[in-house]
Amino acid sequence: MNRKAQFLFGVLASALLLSSATLSARNSGPQESRATADEAKLTAEKSLGSPNAPIKMEVFDDYECPACGQFYEQTLKILINDYVASGKVYLIHRDFPLPLHKYSRQAARWVNAAARIGKFETVERVLFDNQLAWSEYGTENPQGVIKPIVEGALTQAEFQRVERIMQGCESDSHDELKGCAVDAEIQRNIAMGQLLPVQQTPTFVVTCRGKKYPPTAGVVNWPILKQYLDALLNSQ
Amino acid sequence: MLLLGRLGLGAIFLLAAYGKLRPQDAVPWSLASLKITPSSLGISSTFFAMQIDSFQLLPAWAVAPFAHMLPWVEFAVGVLLLVGFGLRYVSVLASLLIALFFAVVVRTYALHIAINCGCFGPNEKLGPWTLIRDGSMLVLCIAVTIGAFLMHRRAQSALGSAASNS
Repeated sequence: MNRKAQFLFGVLASALLLSSATLSARNSGPQESRATADEAKLTAEKSLGSPNAPIKMEVFDDYECPACGQFYEQTLKILINDYVASGKVYLIHRDFPLPLHKYSRQAARWVNAAARIGKFETVERVLFDNQLAWSEYGTENPQGVIKPIVEGALTQAEFQRVERIMQGCESDSHDELKGCAVDAEIQRNIAMGQLLPVQQTPTFVVTCRGKKYPPTAGVVNWPILKQYLDALLNSQ
Repeated sequence: MLLLGRLGLGAIFLLAAYGKLRPQDAVPWSLASLKITPSSLGISSTFFAMQIDSFQLLPAWAVAPFAHMLPWVEFAVGVLLLVGFGLRYVSVLASLLIALFFAVVVRTYALHIAINCGCFGPNEKLGPWTLIRDGSMLVLCIAVTIGAFLMHRRAQSALGSAASNS
């Protein structure tokens, strides 16, 4: 191949590459922004408080993990009533069902389905409040029966809507179910946790005025968490 | 050997103090991570308090004072070990501290409490590696302490024999 042919070949290849890149950017643009908007909507459905709060706290939880139950009952409930209600903290729930907990994925599916109709807080609370009634570690029987607990927390109409979303989801399997409408969102949360990386539950990450702080794992009592949040709020 | 041991231990204590005192939003070992201000210190110490609290050992009222004090104690022990001042007493204090840390991590691991260690900063999962590391540090600390006492005794006896010769 002489130099002229090489030059022409180079120009052609560059033009081809450039046009394909432009085309793919054009095609992926609206799709990507739609996906981002969907993700933001799903995140908002499982969040409490104002998105404009100075502190954003993401909690990676497993509904069957006893430490998560303890953290919710002892710390998060007070945080929700105090710092979330007063607009200081925006609390985001992320699902991180651990495969070692048999019913955790199923619980996450119910909560995500409830979140789709705006009932996230109610169902999250009822599952943590009654963790011993449905988890493997519970003293009460039958284990793994989450549906009646969710049903008891919602009105009949609300429950019917949640049940419709849950069609194809009623399995204890930790694998992503093809026909389950909420599994993709749970998978997305797990992937986010793995990136962090979340090594145990509960794990939470705090972002204050755009600055992201390292994750904290385990049960932290409210007075200690409050001191940390106050130090962040008082920082410049 | 004693010199190497105490320098190594001193560096370990300073490293542990740095991990707890540095601004938590800064990249470790960056220039920004050395810029410790009262505001960043407030965040670091309350962040460390959360890590101590997750061990579920201390009552809530004791967590904050302990979290505020420990990094500075580690810093002081690290500096004194590097300088070699009061080596016998400082090495005993260092051994006691590391023995305490070792006991705490063994207990936490045995109870299957899945948390971060917080020993050298955030995001450090407590696992078998933590036990091996802390156990090795305890052995080193005890060796330095024994060495410090032996050196002192040798120096004393050398002084005594020099005095009797004169």
